[in-house]
Amino acid sequence: MKEKLDAILKNGLSEIENADNLKALDDVRVKFLGKQGELTAILRNMKEIPAEERKDVGMLANVVRNKIEEALSKKLAVLEEQQLEVEMEKERVDITMPSKGIKKGSLHPLTRFNNKFMDICVEMGFTVIQGPEIDTDYYNFEALNVPKNHPARDMQDSLYITDNIVLRTQTSNMQVHAMETIKPPFKIVCPGRVYRNDDDSSHSPIFNQFEALVVDENVGLKDLMKMIDTILKRLFGEDVKMRVRPSYFPFTEPSIEIDATCQMCGGKGCSLCKGSGFSEVFGAGVVNPKVLEMSGIDSKKYSGFAFGPGIDRSVMVLNKIPNIKYLFRNDMRFLKQMR
Amino acid sequence: MKVSYNWLKDFVDIDIPVEELAEKLSTSGFEVEEYSFQNEHLHDVYVGKITKIEKHPEADRLQICQVDVGDKKVQIITSATNVFEGAVVPVSLEGADLVNGVKIKPTNFRGVKSDGMFCSGEELGIDENYIEGGGVNGILILPNDMKIGAKIEDALMLNDVVLDINVTPNRPDCNSIIGIAREICAIYDKPFKDVDYSYKTVGGNINDHISVEVKTEKCPRYMASYVKDLKLTRSPLWLRSRLFAVGIKPINTIVDITNYVLIEQGQPMHAFDYKHLAGSKIIVRDAKKDEKIAVLNGNTYTLNSDDMVIADSVKPVVIAGVIGGVNSCVEKDTTETIFECAVFDLKSVRLTSRKIGVMTDSSLRYSKGVYLSTPIKAIQRALNLVSTLNCGKIVDGIIDTCKQKEVPERKIEASMSKIDKILGVTIDRKRVLQILNSLGIKSILNGDKLSCTLPYYREDVENENDLAEELIRIYGYDVYNNVEGGAFEHSSVTVGAFEPRLVMENKMKNELVDNGFYETLNYSLYSPSAIEKLMINDERKNVIKLANPISEDLSTVRTVMAHALLLDIHYNLSVGNKGLRFFETGRVYQPKSLPLTELPVENNRLSIAVCEDGYDFFMLKNVIENLLISFPLEYKLERSKEPYLHSGVSADIIASDGKKVGWFGKVHKKVLKNYDISEDVYYAELDTDYLSKLPEKTYATKEISKFPIVERDIAVVADEKVTNGELISAIKSACGKHFFECELFDVYRSESLGENNKSLAYKIRLVSDDKTLTADEINAIIKKVLKSLEFRFGAKLRA
Repeated sequence: MKEKLDAILKNGLSEIENADNLKALDDVRVKFLGKQGELTAILRNMKEIPAEERKDVGMLANVVRNKIEEALSKKLAVLEEQQLEVEMEKERVDITMPSKGIKKGSLHPLTRFNNKFMDICVEMGFTVIQGPEIDTDYYNFEALNVPKNHPARDMQDSLYITDNIVLRTQTSNMQVHAMETIKPPFKIVCPGRVYRNDDDSSHSPIFNQFEALVVDENVGLKDLMKMIDTILKRLFGEDVKMRVRPSYFPFTEPSIEIDATCQMCGGKGCSLCKGSGFSEVFGAGVVNPKVLEMSGIDSKKYSGFAFGPGIDRSVMVLNKIPNIKYLFRNDMRFLKQMR
Repeated sequence: MKVSYNWLKDFVDIDIPVEELAEKLSTSGFEVEEYSFQNEHLHDVYVGKITKIEKHPEADRLQICQVDVGDKKVQIITSATNVFEGAVVPVSLEGADLVNGVKIKPTNFRGVKSDGMFCSGEELGIDENYIEGGGVNGILILPNDMKIGAKIEDALMLNDVVLDINVTPNRPDCNSIIGIAREICAIYDKPFKDVDYSYKTVGGNINDHISVEVKTEKCPRYMASYVKDLKLTRSPLWLRSRLFAVGIKPINTIVDITNYVLIEQGQPMHAFDYKHLAGSKIIVRDAKKDEKIAVLNGNTYTLNSDDMVIADSVKPVVIAGVIGGVNSCVEKDTTETIFECAVFDLKSVRLTSRKIGVMTDSSLRYSKGVYLSTPIKAIQRALNLVSTLNCGKIVDGIIDTCKQKEVPERKIEASMSKIDKILGVTIDRKRVLQILNSLGIKSILNGDKLSCTLPYYREDVENENDLAEELIRIYGYDVYNNVEGGAFEHSSVTVGAFEPRLVMENKMKNELVDNGFYETLNYSLYSPSAIEKLMINDERKNVIKLANPISEDLSTVRTVMAHALLLDIHYNLSVGNKGLRFFETGRVYQPKSLPLTELPVENNRLSIAVCEDGYDFFMLKNVIENLLISFPLEYKLERSKEPYLHSGVSADIIASDGKKVGWFGKVHKKVLKNYDISEDVYYAELDTDYLSKLPEKTYATKEISKFPIVERDIAVVADEKVTNGELISAIKSACGKHFFECELFDVYRSESLGENNKSLAYKIRLVSDDKTLTADEINAIIKKVLKSLEFRFGAKLRA
């Protein structure tokens, strides 16, 4: 009997070894361990074995069964692994094939800039407000210290609807609306469209501006400079340099123009900045007390400062857009580059 | 304004490189847009004298000239025919780089050497107005008395530097040489030296020759003087040179003098031919209705009572402050002149000049403002030039219609500490006084009180803010580079906030971008034809028209968004772009009445347009549903009434309050044709003002059943008229409390179903809150559903 068991073990292990697929391996299992299997037969017929041998034969039969089972499971793992490899090989894809589903579009670069700028302003305590694009002469001009027929009206060619109603030439009209309705101290910023009677290769009749206004008890030119410095660094990076030139706006006094390192050339000088390394970003100034008074703010108690960029140029520079007209042309070849 | 560097030197001693001067002017408020050197193309050109002319042996048309250029003799070959022995001419030698791009090198003309070239006036950048012979088609023959061998730029006084300065509207006084010179004095702390205003008269009395009457409020001062025995010649070269530098054409002594005073003093002047002033009278008056006048630019203008004229006793002779008439101007045969030196109302000159579209050096200055005091010295300066040039005899007396001979000096008081507060930096008090005094603002500081006496030409300085600006622009803004302190040193704490609509729009925009849409940006002005193209027939026909549009295409304010996106689609298709998914936010402007008497309603919109293969109504519907799901908005869809949409493939979105908050659908075929678009376009628009006013969406979730969902599919055959919406709502009500979901998963049409029939297949999902539904219970529900569909719509279970 012992020889018989040895033979079963030897044959079993060898057949397991030779099984080269899961079916063959299962056949081996059935042949030795199945209901009609060779080893099963021996175990089932134990009682026919003489009592004195039974214990040894029993132990040996169990050892043989364990060894075969162990070999089976080892071989099974190997064969399963091989099978998986084969299946996975069949599923292999060309990873350069196009992705499926909807391809993302893009926000307009102006919106992107707007959002960035507004985020900065809101973090600095500004409230974003919007207002009318079609406004009365009073809000667009007179309340900003530009009476009818004032020479300062030559600075902006307006588009009129009637003698008294105008497409706003500047978001500064919102200064007046804000001062009339919000109690100081306040900080507001007003993004929006403005309109000018001006259409050539470097001007578009409709463009985008911001107007920021701070009214408080003790603010002045220095606070304006420091705030703009902070904003410029957030917008263009810590290395940005700022340059100030005196200027004139009827509603601010003193008035200044603020230039920042030209973002097109990084300050080296290019055709856009006419070699100066700087490009104009903000008009700014301390609010003229006459303007405060006209809107009912006590100029003895309060002072203010305002700044406003025309943002189309900054958007151009930041995105290296070669032609300002691209901003309104809505050509997919341009928009796709903004993704 | 163009400013001559040499001219400035009459008023301030400067010897500053122009680069530095330009920078300093710019950083103190007078932006120098550019500067140019008159002699840039005149180097290596000299005054020469032709000593001998011979024929070229090999070429008939060429002449060989021996030329004396001072320290050396040169040989020049020329084809010019107006040269002669003894002629003094400009000679360009090796190295010259003429204004027309010609660079001079010694050359050989058929074996004969030429050291350079003779120049014409044009090649030197000048013309007949500048110098006699300057315009001839040949060589410029110079006056005999020019120094042989002199540099041509010196000989012709073309050695100036011209600065182009942008003068801001608050400083009309600086539209003059004298004004800019005063600024330079302040910047460099140099004394201002004035020119000579004295003149000699020949006796007599002006009142015997002319009288002036002002019949309008709009002329606060009119000064006149009388000069006889005129010598109307070319002005001397130095005067022509200055006018030429600043871009004014020299004409004759008298006209040149008026222009010289205009540029130097900033005071427009006019010179009349005395013999044409009928009645020896000058009347300043409002124009009569439809009064006509022919002026120096060759045109005739019709005026009305808003305009102002200078007239004699019978006719208008000048459009006041704008342009002179041809009937009385100084001409070659003029022997006596009246100089006019006046102040006109800025608004009147502005309006007239704009209305007739004539901008002159004179009208530009009057439109910006001329001071009441300016004419006093200006007319003296003109007479001084008459004396200097010896071009006429000045009759005693100057007529002045202004009662106020001396404008009293204006005084203001300011608080020094307030100025400090405005600036945020403290400027040393000595420096404060020095800056103000150098600007002509006589100032005394007593404690905090700053007392200032202002010159007549500084009407712009009124308060502490103005004084602060004067101080800091001269002191220099560089001071802020190094001051301590942060952005919030003086301002109160304020809590920032976004505009709610912008926040909402941004969310929607990002959602659309994720869905493959591109944001566009279009003008909110359009052509009135947009209304016809879109077949608009409601109140949106009433568009606001601009009074002064740039062009027809930008002449009305939009009441409809769709136009712009359809143009974008047309444009993109025309350049070969495909798969167009666009969106845009913007406003429409609906007038309450026309013509506009009050402000229109501005309404914010989100508009969407798609032109893409395989796109359909239901894909767009999905985009809209997904956008709207974030709002607490109950809405239903109705067939759209938008005239530019396909009536059968479009829907209006109606909120529960009855308000139409948007619409979407296929664009009408006729409209597409109007836009020359040959592919289907789907369009949607939402009222973002309405959406932004909705409260934030809140959530109250219901308990979820512990028991599993069961599913049954049914397919029913119904008439084409029966809608999916009707069937689903019937299914829902038949299922009762066990209804969970119902989804349409197939629509099928075939002849076998019968004419006008369709088959709709639904997946019905049921659930109970308290048990697992049994097969019997499910079957009973489905039976009820089928019965209901048959009863209500005649829809039968598909065999």
